[in-house]
Amino acid sequence: MAEPLRVIDFGVSSPLRSQTLWHAVAYGVSAGAPATLSFVRPAAPYVCLGYHRNMDEVDTDYCRANGLPVFRRMVGGGPVYLDSNQLFFQICVRVESLPPGRHQAMRTLLEPAVAAFRALGVPAALDAGGEICVEGKKICGHGAGQIEDAVIVCGNLIEQFDHERAARVLAMAEATQREETLALMRRFVGSTPVDPGAFRSTMTASYRDALSLGGREEEGALTGLEHEALVELDERFTSRPWLDGPRPPSVGSVAPRVRQVKVRAGVCTFAVEGHGALVTAGVVDGVLERVHLFDGALNGSRQRAEHALVGVPVNDAARVLSGFGDPGRRLAALLASLEPARL
Amino acid sequence: MAEKSVVVVGGFALALDRRYQAETHMWVLELGGRHVRIGMDPLGIETSGSLAQLSLEPVRAQLVADRPFGQLEAAKFVGPLVSPVTGTVLAVNHAVIANADVLERDPYGEGWLIEAALGDGSAGLEDLLSDPAELTAWFAAKIAGYRLRGVIAE
Repeated sequence: MAEPLRVIDFGVSSPLRSQTLWHAVAYGVSAGAPATLSFVRPAAPYVCLGYHRNMDEVDTDYCRANGLPVFRRMVGGGPVYLDSNQLFFQICVRVESLPPGRHQAMRTLLEPAVAAFRALGVPAALDAGGEICVEGKKICGHGAGQIEDAVIVCGNLIEQFDHERAARVLAMAEATQREETLALMRRFVGSTPVDPGAFRSTMTASYRDALSLGGREEEGALTGLEHEALVELDERFTSRPWLDGPRPPSVGSVAPRVRQVKVRAGVCTFAVEGHGALVTAGVVDGVLERVHLFDGALNGSRQRAEHALVGVPVNDAARVLSGFGDPGRRLAALLASLEPARL
Repeated sequence: MAEKSVVVVGGFALALDRRYQAETHMWVLELGGRHVRIGMDPLGIETSGSLAQLSLEPVRAQLVADRPFGQLEAAKFVGPLVSPVTGTVLAVNHAVIANADVLERDPYGEGWLIEAALGDGSAGLEDLLSDPAELTAWFAAKIAGYRLRGVIAE
């Protein structure tokens, strides 16, 4: 008979432990512990960076001044603001139990969460971008990673979302980008204030049934190996090399300077500045929304250029700008610095 | 790479001038002596999803066959890049670290990941596929399997 689903409710934990506990579970599952669904709620707010992201995406001065620790997780995605109004869940299985493609693996591990939301009366759906949404609003942040031979997907029940703080903790030099980011967060990130106890039990039933885990679940606790991993993770996650991350830091002094902020799949803002010119914009499904331009030589045509760009696909923006003479071509050249994968 | 060394199997390019680790889709190109270049084939890239970022072990790091030498992130999923050989990292392709699109655009050329000096002995090379007929059959079977399971589009 298949092993039952192990369920661990860690309750309320410190910000650090709200990350390291479930990373420890991944090491345990990799070493032979059963597939595990876990829950944890952070006792205090903090900021968490995706594995590959640079610390300069976070306004560390603001975080320090406001007592917000910053940690780096071993799963993907961008920097996020987390607090006690979010109940985290994590599903962790052995890698060989999943389909070979990452897209399918993610769907396999996210669809039971969607089913649980629906069972609770929330009309959630997994959209084409892989986000759990209700009518276009992301209601559950998620990230995934393979840790040794285990795959873990983490997500959250957002009971309330502090849009202002979520935007404020991000490093953005341009006020127009910050305003646009906050506006898009309000539009595209929402909360689902369902009963957390019902959420836990419904999620448990949904994952147990979907993953064919013998139709059973068992309340569990960390194994000895997981406790050892937890001690190591607590140390690692607070060490300078880990916080600095695996990628070289951004080179901020080289023009153009680019800052891209993803709000949800398909929704982002960007600011690109260089050689005395600046473009900031919000992008929804690849199309420019509000656009702000600055180039000293644009003179009276700035507003006309900004209006001309609204509704234009980002990929086509350079062509539109090139119709505005030398300043337009300078601004168009800046757009070539954007990372397409983060639009 | 000579044009004739690349064939198209089921819509995916397959370079026949190198060896492959069948499960991970990593390729190894022998550059002479015990110097090799390592990358990922287009099928491995396709099944990873839209690449976002990657990180690689630095120069002088030790490679162990079947152990990670870096991490690849696609659609918020971070997973290991698994080394097909044992050796020492000689060079890292900073172009793919700066822009993962390079890997998707030219997986057998500019999208290489690392160069390495092989360790003593076979260093894992003998476990890799290299015979052109065997490679073509392996690639075709993988594509068919992925299509059957909906991992890649028809």
